[in-house]
Amino acid sequence: MTLVDRDFQGAAGDAGTKDLASVQDTAGAERPLIELRQVSKTFGTVKALQDLEVSIRPGELVTVVGPSGCGKSTLFNILAGLEEPDPGNILRLKGVSSAASDLLGKVSFMPQRDLLLPWRNVIDNAILALEIEGMPRAEARKLAMDMLPEFGLAGFEAQYPNQLSGGMRQRVALMRTFLFKRDLMLLDEPFGALDALTRTMMQRWLLDVWQKHKRTVLFITHDVDEAIFLGDRVLVMTARPGRIKLEQVVELPRPRKANIVTSLEFISLKKTLLEAIEEESMKSFQVAGH
Amino acid sequence: MSASVSSDSLRQFSRGIAGALLVAAVWELCARGLDLPAYVLPSVSSILAGLASDAGSLLAAARFTAAESFTGYAIGCLAGMTAAVLVTMIPSARSVVVPLATAINSVPVVAYSPLVLLWFGIGMASKIVMVAIAVSFTIFLSTIAGLDRVDRKSVDLIRSFGADRFTVLWRLRLPTALPLVIAGMRVSTVRSVIVAIVTEMLGAYGGLGWVIYQAVLQVDFVKVWAAIIVASAISLAFFGAISFVERRYVFWR
Repeated sequence: MTLVDRDFQGAAGDAGTKDLASVQDTAGAERPLIELRQVSKTFGTVKALQDLEVSIRPGELVTVVGPSGCGKSTLFNILAGLEEPDPGNILRLKGVSSAASDLLGKVSFMPQRDLLLPWRNVIDNAILALEIEGMPRAEARKLAMDMLPEFGLAGFEAQYPNQLSGGMRQRVALMRTFLFKRDLMLLDEPFGALDALTRTMMQRWLLDVWQKHKRTVLFITHDVDEAIFLGDRVLVMTARPGRIKLEQVVELPRPRKANIVTSLEFISLKKTLLEAIEEESMKSFQVAGH
Repeated sequence: MSASVSSDSLRQFSRGIAGALLVAAVWELCARGLDLPAYVLPSVSSILAGLASDAGSLLAAARFTAAESFTGYAIGCLAGMTAAVLVTMIPSARSVVVPLATAINSVPVVAYSPLVLLWFGIGMASKIVMVAIAVSFTIFLSTIAGLDRVDRKSVDLIRSFGADRFTVLWRLRLPTALPLVIAGMRVSTVRSVIVAIVTEMLGAYGGLGWVIYQAVLQVDFVKVWAAIIVASAISLAFFGAISFVERRYVFWR
């Protein structure tokens, strides 16, 4: 709780205030887009999340790292409205208390795998969400066509997913997520399956697109470098049951160049984060091996 | 790319024709060389002559059988798919219906034909019903299997876009099921012609099965063979048509 709040207050420019409510009053435009307090989730006997606290301000790119099985995906499913947390939680969207299911259709969600529909070509995959919203096909296609060059897909609109490389498929999936214009974008290890070279290209590209479109992003990853390179803040989750163990503000200047990963600042951030993750990985390893 | 595909299929086609001609030649040589009686194996030339001389009645019988098969097939496909969709949408019905369907489907459908003849008479209706039963169970089971293949993560994704159950069904489940549904439909084409002919043999006023049965009674084996060849042609054409549809609409496999 403390770390999240401290950062929150710092950002509100009112570091002396301890009381969250009064921060919110003075924060104005900095009111979090989404806020989770005391969120727990139990599956049978397994506690996936316990008293998780996250708040994300508009326009932020927040990355989440953690040992495998720490409940990152559960967090995502809750934010996407697919899963309801245990009772007693607080979930606020733009300051309004909501149930997780209220978030269905309010968050643009991109799962780990691209999940493109093989019977739809690039353009029709990209407009899937718009079509479900009820936008006429012709209009949706036109919107998507205008976006193709930015996603490096110009000229590929009529190709089918089985004709595309992994990086291109992922860009189509991202385009589908971007076209579904919602305040919060959830990206679940979108580049996890790509080779290292393609991955760095995609990260730089994502930063470009994010800066241009001014979207709020929560980005899950396994890769600490990726988390620092992309994020305004990095959240480290604990081993199961998942909580936020550490919140690290990344003050690297933007736009970030590829060589920033060799800067001293980057390396010291990485050291801090790796230590925190290492500690948690050991925990979950010991639990698993017990 | 399309040019190479069509030249490939042309080569395949010409090979098929060459194979058929070869078989016909060997058949002709055996039948004539060994001087086999017609009830063992009539010569190809005599069968062709029989086809020509009986063309009118064979064509009428073929039309009869084809009408029964196609109608039964269409009804069976529709019924099978509808039932599969309903069962998938109502999970509680599933545990009752699917084992029952599997059990019924495991008995050769022809076993039911005496009953169906009794209930629906020996006209076209009984053949249509038999074909529809045979086809519907196959389509039902393959549609269920196809609908089950949908990825849970895909359902989650499309739900996160705000899709309700029917949107999920229409945009995701049905297209996902399509490859298996059409594969089931392809297999069922042949099955529908077989069931129509067998049921005709058990009691009918017309159709190829009836022609075969009558020709056997009249010891006219040339006619039996001629009818068999016409039946094969219907089956092949039907199979080919559905295969064509499959290649055209299930292009992503």
